[in-house]
This record gives sequence, C-alpha cells and structure tokens, in this order.
Amino acid sequence: MKETPVLSSAEKKELRLKRIYLLLPLLSLALLFLLWILAATGTNKDSFPSPLAVWERFLLIMKRPVKDYTIFGHVLQSLRRIFSTLVVAWITGISFGVLTGWNRKADALLSPLFTAFRSVPPLAWIPLITIWFGTGEGSQMLIVYTGCIASIVVNTQAGLKNVAKMYLDVGTVFNASSRQMLFQIAIPSALDAVFAGVRTSTSAAWMVVLAAEMLGGKSGVGFLIVRGMDSLDLPLVLMSMIFIGVVGAMLAVLTQIVEGVLCPWTRKKSA
Amino acid sequence: MKETKYKVEVDSLTKYFGSLHVLDNISFQVRNGEFICVVGPTGCGKTTFLNLLTRIYQPTRGDLYIDGQSANPKKHNIAFVFQEPSSIPWMTVEKNLRFGMEIKKLPKAEIDGRVERIIKLLGLQDFRDSYPHQLSVSSEQRIIIGRAFAMNPDLLLMDEPYGQMDVKLRFYLEDEVIRLWQELGSTVVFITHNIEEAVYLAQRILIMSNKPTTIKEEVSVDLPRPRDVADPRFIEIRKHVTDQIKWW
Amino acid sequence: MSMDEKKIRLRLEHISQSYVVKNEVRCAVDDVTLDVYDNEFLVVLGPGHCGKSVLLNIIAGIEKPVAGQMFLDGGRLLKSDERIGMVFQKLALMPWKTVMANVEFGPEVRGVAKGERRAAAQKYIDLVGLTGFEKAYPNELSGGMKQRVGIARAYTNNPEILLMDEPFGQLDAQTRYAMQEEIMKIWEMEKRTLVFVTNNIEEAVYLGDRIVLLTRCPGRVKQVYPIGLPRPRDTVDPQFLRIRKEISQNTDLAL
Repeated sequence: MKETPVLSSAEKKELRLKRIYLLLPLLSLALLFLLWILAATGTNKDSFPSPLAVWERFLLIMKRPVKDYTIFGHVLQSLRRIFSTLVVAWITGISFGVLTGWNRKADALLSPLFTAFRSVPPLAWIPLITIWFGTGEGSQMLIVYTGCIASIVVNTQAGLKNVAKMYLDVGTVFNASSRQMLFQIAIPSALDAVFAGVRTSTSAAWMVVLAAEMLGGKSGVGFLIVRGMDSLDLPLVLMSMIFIGVVGAMLAVLTQIVEGVLCPWTRKKSA
Repeated sequence: MKETKYKVEVDSLTKYFGSLHVLDNISFQVRNGEFICVVGPTGCGKTTFLNLLTRIYQPTRGDLYIDGQSANPKKHNIAFVFQEPSSIPWMTVEKNLRFGMEIKKLPKAEIDGRVERIIKLLGLQDFRDSYPHQLSVSSEQRIIIGRAFAMNPDLLLMDEPYGQMDVKLRFYLEDEVIRLWQELGSTVVFITHNIEEAVYLAQRILIMSNKPTTIKEEVSVDLPRPRDVADPRFIEIRKHVTDQIKWW
Repeated sequence: MSMDEKKIRLRLEHISQSYVVKNEVRCAVDDVTLDVYDNEFLVVLGPGHCGKSVLLNIIAGIEKPVAGQMFLDGGRLLKSDERIGMVFQKLALMPWKTVMANVEFGPEVRGVAKGERRAAAQKYIDLVGLTGFEKAYPNELSGGMKQRVGIARAYTNNPEILLMDEPFGQLDAQTRYAMQEEIMKIWEMEKRTLVFVTNNIEEAVYLGDRIVLLTRCPGRVKQVYPIGLPRPRDTVDPQFLRIRKEISQNTDLAL
C-alpha cells in the first residue's frame, strides 16, 4: 500500500524554512540589480549606464560587430586563447608535478627553481614578455601560461606527496612494481588534487587572459573593455564585464562536471 | 500540557520522507530514573529516530514529551553521547566536564561539587589537567559520558557509545555507566546493536523492527546487578532478543 | 594428529619491532616466536595498540622488523611475497576502481591476462555474495559489502597464507556476526592458512583454531589457547562463554 501522508504542520514549517535558502540568493541578486538601476538614475547617465543602455549596446554589437566579432565572437576568442594555453599548461604542469611529487631527487633538484619562479606574481612578467616577444598572440598565451601554471603544479605535487599509506601498502602486499605503484595507485589517488589544480588554473587563466588582451590585443573580451574605455563607450565596458563574470562562473561549473565524468567515484552516491 | 506520571513519553512518532515510510507509530514511555536500551536490526530507522528526538527532522505525526510537555531544547535538558567522542580539544578534562554546566549558568559552587563527584566516580583524579588528546579514545568517551551525567539531564540519550571496544573494556565501561546512573539517577535511553550489552545494562529493552520501524516488543530485564553474562536467565533473554531481530 | 606433527607453514623467530618517537625508543613487538600450521585458522588477539597489526605488517612485508627472522615453508621470508595475501583493516579499497577492478588488482599486477583474471575475480565475487555489484564503486557499498570486496581481492590473488587485520573492526555488532559466519563459510570452502588479528575476544573464540594472546604494549606472546569447540560455534553456549571469560580475565585492560 502506497499511502502518501499529509505533512504535519511542523514538517510544513520545516519545508518553508528550507525554501528560504533558495530564495535568499535570488533576493540578493535582485537587490544588486536594483542598486544598479538606482546608481544609473542617480548619477550622470554617461558615467554609469543603465541596464537598458547595456542591453541596447548588446543588441548593437550583435548587429554591428566590433573588429569583425560580435560579443560571442570575442568571448570565443578569449576562450580559444585560454584553452590552447591550458592544454599546454596541464600537460607540462602535471608532468612536472608528478615528477617532483613522486621522485625525491627530482623534487630536491627542481622544486627550488619552481619556487623561485612562483614567487614572482604572473603580472610582473608582462613587461619582459612584451619587450622580448611583442604583443602578439604568442606573448598573450605566454602571459596566460605564467598565470596558470603554478596552481596546477602545486596541486599535483601535493596530491602525489600525500598518497595515503594505506593504498601504497596494498601495492606492497601485491608486489606491485614502482611503475605500477605510480600509475595504478599514486596518480589515480591524487586525481582529485590534480582536478583542484585544473579548476584553479582555469579560473586563473580566465583572469590573466583579460590582462593579456588589454595590452594591445586585437580580439577578446579584454580587448573589448579597452576599446570601450578608449572611446568612452561605458555600456560596452559594462556589458563586457557582465559577460566575463558569467563565463567565469560557467567555466567553474563546467570543470566540475568534467571532473564528475572523468572521476565517477567522486560523485556522491544517490540515496 | 498533559497529565503524566512518566518523565519521557514518545507518542506515536511517525516519519515519512516523501512516500518512503521510515518510522511507524513509535510509542513508549520512560519513568523518571529508568535505564532503557533500544535494539534493532542493522539498517532499521535508528538514525531517523534519533534525528527526530534531537529535532534535526520534524515528525510527520506524533511527538516527544518531557514531563508532559512537547520537548523543547530551550526548556528541557536533553544530553547526547554519540559513538565518536566529542570532547573540546583545547579544554582540559576538568574544563570539559564544567563546560555544559557553565553554559547553563549554574552557580559555581554547584558546578564544583558535581565535577568533583564525577571525577571521583570516573577515577580520573590524576588526569583532571590533561587534554583529551593525551588520553585514549575510551577515556575520552568516559569524559563525555561524565559530562552528560553531570548536566542532570531530563533525558540522557546514548547512541552506541562503546561501538567497537573490546569485551574487556566494554564490561568495564558498562559497569561504570551503571555506577554513574545509580549514583546520579538520570533517565537514560541507550541505543545499541549489541544485544549482550543491552541485556547487561537495561531495566527494559525496546526491540525495533525493520523499516517502517516500530517497537516490536518490550522485554523487561529483572536480573540482579552486577549481572552475570553466563547466567542461564541472562542467556535466555539474550537469545530471545536475538531471535526477534536476527537477520544474519 | 597432534599439533606437533602438523606441517608448519610460517615460522616467526624472535621478531621484535620498535620505533623512535620523539627521541625515545618505543617497542611495539617484543620477541615474538610463533609457528603457524598448514590450513590453520590462527587468531592473534590483543587489546588496543598492542602491536598486533604491526606483527601482521611485518609478515606481509610492509615493515621490516628490527630483529628476528621469518620462514615460509622453511625458506627465509625477507619481503612481500606472492604467497601471502592480506585483508586490510581500514577497508583499503581503491575508491577510483570498481569492485571488479579492485578484486582483480593482484593478478593484474602480476600481469595475468584479462580473461583469466576476470574469471578468477568473478569466482570470488560470487563466493562473497557480491554478484551484480562488479561495476559499483566502493563508496556505493555498505561497510559489510566493502569488507567482502577486501576478502575477495585477497583470495583472487590465490595466496597460500591469508592475513586479516581487524577486518570487521569498523562494523556494527550484528554485521560483524554476519561477516564472522561468512568468513568461516568461505574458509571451510577454500581452506587457507589464515592469520586473523582482532581485539574482540568473542570474535577470536568464534573463529580460531588457536588463539595467540598478546600483552599490552609492547606485544609479547602471553598465552596460546587451542580452541577445541566444534563448528559452527554458538556464542551463548556455556562452554563458549567460559572460554571467553577465561581469556578475558587474562587480557590486559587497555583503558
């Protein structure tokens, strides 16, 4: 017999209380929007565009692209730039992290170099890179690379240094070779740390690419912001900022989904 | 408010999660100063039952009454002891024991008196200034149990406090909890998977069924203390309870 | 046939282990000498932290003892050996591998072909009652089921000697009874020499042909009890309770 019971008043109250947690974030977003409208009407229209002005700017750029690209085109340009860099950063960073995290001699030899490199903030490399290589596509990717390599290396290293002894013991009892220890036990058990690195490097890359594009790029959202600034086109600046935020959030969600697909064991068991 | 001669009354407690029926009409009463054990098969709705008593979930029907009033954490004093000891790491043994009573703002003289009594009952005089991590897990658990008793709770709820300790240690700790209870006269509901433990401790055993969980049977244990686990009457009760829940 | 005539599989001679903790030498295992007979169910019983797990780790080759020698079938045992398998205490299943991949890990490491190792793994997955869960990940299983995977993994590598390190320590009392019956059933079907470590006296008396009782830290052999009770044993049988009490009174209290 499947009887669905009527909720007691206490349970209804419990449900109502829970609903508040869904509602409050929406409320804070609505508040932000309201503040925006207030700010836009209260001040000079030219220095703080209203939501409507931004929306109209969006429609305009879809009709009349800036430097051949609509806003989506510029977003895609930026994304292409970070992902082609990230692939290189992931391959080199994970290899370096595995090597130094697993092999103590390599760690002693190479890690000081890395620490020295890492103590310089990525943006400090920009002048040198522009002087040596100009402001072209290659330099922009190099800037992104300096910005995102550290987090992937650090996380991978930590993951390999902290493999639970318990798993290594299993390997010992089954007489695993050191190669098997590394590939069958250490690396898989470090995967969630590696993925933490992938996540942070992705968001770092998204931040740094804007800086790179602002310095003489010819496409991308960073370029768009500078273009808006130069021509005092504030709706364009604000619209680009909104796209940057939304895409950044989407990237965070996307990497989480990819982790769930590649590491199914990290997914929570459904009750 | 309703008239009652019981300290604690659980009245037709029922819980559904959506259409999943977890608890079915659980009713029982506990007299003031009584020691009750609740046993049930693995995977019976024990956790849900506890979460209802601690108000983490709200019941679909029914309620828990203390002194005839719907239990209210603000008014009533319900103490818990869980399987994992939960002492406060930066406080010494003595400070841990005082902690609950200080929160309740009891007079200092009263706190001093109770703490001394508990420390003596536990035989922890030498460890009063130690920190929890300097003790073994079992001693840490003893402090938590002492702390709970020191609160003079309306209801002391214990959930498998001796989980996986070995027999020797368990007998020792079970004797200790009986000593505390006899000295301080708290009302105790003790939940366990271990049937021998239930028969050793309880005045009354409540046997839970599989889901939807209900109280299947009440067994009163009329054996003199200290109890002998090899006593034929003890074994008979142990066997009977085992037969009621055996799934393995 | 008396014990003395039984074939000795594993021999420990004066095994000691100690560690340096905060500039102090702490002894964990002290001069343990022990024979393990062929196809015997030997239980090593001791109170918490008495070095019983350390002893098992030494046999498994996870740790090297500071003194003493070990012999397997008369030959020196110096490191981890294929003939020795282990079931771990902390459910050391690899969360990134499915049940099947965990169970076939041993033969995979040895380079056994996929079909062959799958068949062996399947046999023991079926034997421990996990048919249908081959593709599940460990975090989808209950505590008892995880430990079954651990047992199947050890058996699949077809060891001659099986070490079990408090395998049921994390389970509730009832699931523990269930697993004790299960391991007895499996052992009777697939006889192996078994060294089983526990702190639970009832479990020891239920399972063991012999019980080796260790002292509390450092672990020394305090007494060896041959258990002659017929199987399956009844935990409330007066004889059983008498032996349990006798051993309990001789055990050090680890308060």
